[in-house]
Amino acid sequence: MKGGLRQSMAWLHTWTGLLFGWLLFAVFLTGTCAFFQEEITRWMQPELTGTADPSQAVQSAVHFLEGKAPDAESWFITLPSARNMQTSLFWRPKRVEGEPRRRNRGETSATLDSAGNTVEARETRGGFFLYRFHFDLHYMPVRWARDLVSIASMFMLIAILTGVVTHKKIFVDFFMLRFGKGQRSWLDAHNVTAVFALPFYLMITYTGLVTLATQNMPWGIAANYADTSKFFAEVFPERERQERSDERVPLAPIGPMLEQASRHWDGAAIGYLSVTLPGDRNATVTVTRALSSSVNTRAPTMAFNGATGRPLTLPAATGGALATQGVMVGLHAGRFADWGLRWLYFLSGVGGTIMVGSGLVLWTVKRRAKLPDPARPHFGFRLVERLNVATIAGFPAGIAAYFLTNRLLPPHMAGRAEWEIHSIFILWGGMLLYAIVRPTRRAWIEGLMLAALLYLAVPLVNALTVPRNGLVGLFTGDWLFVAFDLTMLATAAGFAWAAHRMTRAKATQPPRRLARQPAELSPAE
Amino acid sequence: MIGRTIAAVPVNYALSSIATALLARHLPMRPSEASITATLLSYLIFAVLAMMIFAARSTRRMWLWLGSATVGLGLLLWLSIHFGGRL
Repeated sequence: MKGGLRQSMAWLHTWTGLLFGWLLFAVFLTGTCAFFQEEITRWMQPELTGTADPSQAVQSAVHFLEGKAPDAESWFITLPSARNMQTSLFWRPKRVEGEPRRRNRGETSATLDSAGNTVEARETRGGFFLYRFHFDLHYMPVRWARDLVSIASMFMLIAILTGVVTHKKIFVDFFMLRFGKGQRSWLDAHNVTAVFALPFYLMITYTGLVTLATQNMPWGIAANYADTSKFFAEVFPERERQERSDERVPLAPIGPMLEQASRHWDGAAIGYLSVTLPGDRNATVTVTRALSSSVNTRAPTMAFNGATGRPLTLPAATGGALATQGVMVGLHAGRFADWGLRWLYFLSGVGGTIMVGSGLVLWTVKRRAKLPDPARPHFGFRLVERLNVATIAGFPAGIAAYFLTNRLLPPHMAGRAEWEIHSIFILWGGMLLYAIVRPTRRAWIEGLMLAALLYLAVPLVNALTVPRNGLVGLFTGDWLFVAFDLTMLATAAGFAWAAHRMTRAKATQPPRRLARQPAELSPAE
Repeated sequence: MIGRTIAAVPVNYALSSIATALLARHLPMRPSEASITATLLSYLIFAVLAMMIFAARSTRRMWLWLGSATVGLGLLLWLSIHFGGRL
């Protein structure tokens, strides 16, 4: 290979970055939203209000389930937390010989408020969809999606590492964001956002790969275990299954069990509990600590005899490597983060999204000057340009549309949750078509303006359609709506600013080559 | 560059997987722990190998190293599983 280490790293950085850049942009953006998935869901179900009282919620949930499914195989109760006011219930009905398993979750799940009333809200997949999209994508089998995202993440890891090698003056350039200088500005924007949270990107990419490890790197387990289920049985030991005794014994009070578990965990909150064979002599209550109370994503559990309420010994999952893996996954998901750290996670994610986006733009900006005939670029160049517009302007615009359709579709429309999701991809696809028919500069400006307008419309449409909004929230202490409105306005301002810069930069940028040598610190061919 | 890309992605993945599997079998800890440790390290192995493949001056020597490492470690892994067995 000609050239030195830096040149080859630059080549690798440029092309690995480009190949999966668009997918990574979407993954980064939705993953960033996922740090606030519960808040987004709450915003998307504005009917649900009130506060949660976890101990009362447990009593109510058990009472509800005793009435609804007294002889179920098992109950699962997710308790409310500071971020989610509702109690989610799910139960597995008693197995009947010869009858096929029921598949419809709707019949075996419920959402309650703390007082035990079922809550009715508009159908939506809320923030959960954005969270799932960031590794399961949509309109394709989950397995393929995770393979794709794994490969893209691997490229991302390489792009980050080669980016560091390529970038000679990494810290000097951090203080140099030169606006309105064409290619230099794009390079600066790419560098500043990259350096600003470099440890975060390395962490989030690496731990992201770890979350999908059993699929993308199954060989470490396969090397020792001919049967993967043996591995899981060893790592996550389970209590022996209890058989139904057919002797009805009422369930012991749950409250004292939760108190005992919480005391055992130094007062940490309870996140989740399950009851197997409720109402039977062999009932077991399993209590899991809230995920918010530790970085490790595998929260400890305690088990109790459901009939007597006495604690049972539970085989515990142990091991340094397992704990390390749990912490890595926990760092990725950030479920432990309180508000300050959560916003930091979010802002780092925004930085990462801009880093990927500006890197994609840089690819075209850098090549435009070198085109044999800049008026008639070759096919590959035009394709990249158009995909850039469609993704960088169109995909975020799609997420704004997701929020807007949540407010605008009729509350009881059939398949409304699905149509909210379709709106994201209609916008994305529509923007691609638009970018194909319009001259690229115009498509950029108009696409970014559209994104800005849609984000601006979110608080407005919200204020016109539901009683809760940011302004009212200032007085009633509805901080969720205040923060959501402000975030939408800030995003709209960001896109409007980008559109504005685009107008200016294109008009003033001289056609000559850049004065500085790009090879000095930037990826060359 | 196409040659290096093939070396750095599919061939590298094969070599990284073999290295991960060998680590999983021979790290001095419980099998489950060794499997997890090796898996957590696998991405680092892959990324470093990819960069080495691109940084190598001579394409021929790179292929020589890569080929012999893959075949050599692959053989070791085969022997290890053949004689050591799996759970």
